[in-house]
Amino acid sequence: MVLLELRDITKRVGQELILKRVSLRVETGEFIAIIGPSGSGKSSLLYIMGLLDRPTSGTILYRNEIIEWKDAVINRLRNQKLGFVFQFHYLIPELNVLENVMAPQLKAGRSYGEAKERALELLTRLGLDAKSKRQVFEISGGEMQRVAIARALANNPEILLCDEPTGNLDTKNTQRVMEIFEELNQEGTTIVMVTHDMSLAERAKRVIEMRDGEIVADR
Amino acid sequence: MKAILFLSLAFLKKRKRQTIVSTLGFAISVTAFIVMSSIMFGFQKYFIQQVIDIEAHISIKPKEEIAEDRLIRRVDNESLIKALGSRPKEKDKILGWRDIMKRLEEHPEILGVAPHLESKGILKYGAKEKPVSLIGIEPFLEARTSVIERFLEKKNLSSLETHKDSIIIGKIVARDLGITETGKRVVLTLPNGQTKIMKVVDFFNSGITNIDASRVYIPLKTLQALLERVDEVNVLIIRIRDVKRAEALARELRAEIKYEVESWQKAYLNFLKIFKIQNMITYMIVFAIITVSAFGIFNIIMMTVMEKRKEIAILMAMGYSSKDITLIFLCIGLITSVLGGLLGFIFAYGILEYLANLDLELEGLLKSKGFILDRSPYYYLLGFVLSFLFSLIASLYPAYRASKLNPVEIFRSL
Repeated sequence: MVLLELRDITKRVGQELILKRVSLRVETGEFIAIIGPSGSGKSSLLYIMGLLDRPTSGTILYRNEIIEWKDAVINRLRNQKLGFVFQFHYLIPELNVLENVMAPQLKAGRSYGEAKERALELLTRLGLDAKSKRQVFEISGGEMQRVAIARALANNPEILLCDEPTGNLDTKNTQRVMEIFEELNQEGTTIVMVTHDMSLAERAKRVIEMRDGEIVADR
Repeated sequence: MKAILFLSLAFLKKRKRQTIVSTLGFAISVTAFIVMSSIMFGFQKYFIQQVIDIEAHISIKPKEEIAEDRLIRRVDNESLIKALGSRPKEKDKILGWRDIMKRLEEHPEILGVAPHLESKGILKYGAKEKPVSLIGIEPFLEARTSVIERFLEKKNLSSLETHKDSIIIGKIVARDLGITETGKRVVLTLPNGQTKIMKVVDFFNSGITNIDASRVYIPLKTLQALLERVDEVNVLIIRIRDVKRAEALARELRAEIKYEVESWQKAYLNFLKIFKIQNMITYMIVFAIITVSAFGIFNIIMMTVMEKRKEIAILMAMGYSSKDITLIFLCIGLITSVLGGLLGFIFAYGILEYLANLDLELEGLLKSKGFILDRSPYYYLLGFVLSFLFSLIASLYPAYRASKLNPVEIFRSL
């Protein structure tokens, strides 16, 4: 089943063409790694897949339906079908660990109690239940990234989009994060991960290589 | 909406110091608004109410001859202009006043009409003398057209009916002459040189300084006899049902009556104008205070937006729309103003309570014990609405700026 499809996606920033007629199909349950040198367009592609950025031309389909670029549609998909994990955790320092994981759920319309319960469930799964009441600055970098993963998973997304998710982590935490991704993928979550690290890319089921705004290899 | 409130409160809670400062700013402006409005309108409303109660709602008097009409110009040597006064052509009296009264009393909007003969005089008590404004009244009719009795310390208006040498004097007139109790005898001297010994039967205390410091009531017939103006009156006072209609009714009567018809609004036009200017100045000050508080809010929200760019970007990545982001920052401003407003209510209530219980003798345009306050909940509501509106305006631009941030640009720049 094709979950997400990009057709002839072009992205122009100023005079520069950063994505050149890129087409890509993401099927349910895939674990895709996107690799390539800096400036090859990997993150731009990820942002378009995650509906954070609008392509200059081309079509995006979700479950074989063309996505209309309307605020309500885009925001609903971002909130309920997609989850983001970035290189930097981007946790909200005004919220504690638990509240950070609750934030997307409250937007989805869950009650405070439901959101809290789900957040605790995810934090327990990621080994952070004991730190749920901690402030963000009171936990380590690896823990922050795990909280960011919990936040991305809060609304049960169908696709997890990760932009260099281990870029700021040490080897031990990188392993831990990769294990989480593999577990999630085994459970059915589709994962698309941008990375520089070939050893991490090798752990994905499919590797897409980009160069100069084009897909040059898909294996 | 719960997500919006959840995040707004979180942003506010983490910035306690700024939140407290801006809340206090709004509290002070709301307090200033309520207290100043209560004092100012309390004074003005009291003054107007006293005027309405004491004075005629509408008065009819002979038209004043314009001084210009009484000038005789003579040119000497083609350059020198001399202006000489001539005698007044009309006598200071209302002809056929009984018929006019009868006609007026039939008008459905008129509650009562009473005749006055007004003149100047001098009161002497012992070695002390004081110029006064004399009003000759018929007590029974006067009671129907004003609430004069309410301002009499001994409620002894009827004495003017039964004793032709009785006199009611203003409280400040009495004080200036050194009269502290009724029953004292004073010498009244009139412009025609007539004098009469009168007995003080009551004191008149309206609270309006210039009235209490000059007004004296005596029986109409006594004054007519002393002035040798038998059965003459020079003012008719009218009491109407709806005081706000006084000017409109006066306009209507002007068409029917050849004398000057003046409403209380016109008679006190200068005071009403001063009140308007006073209100304008006060509100300018209050608006300046609220504006400063609003700038405080603007500053804090703008700073938050600038500092929280990456948090805004991640909220957008989570599915928060531009509208949600706008609402989060608007809520920050509005919560601050609501808290400030509520705190302002408490401060204002406390200050007004203090002022109301202050034992203070005030004598200016009005004479009163302590401040005359109008403690209407309307000022609380208005203060609250104003601070809410100002804070909404102050929050709009930063909130709009926040909503227009592009998450991709932010993620790329970090």
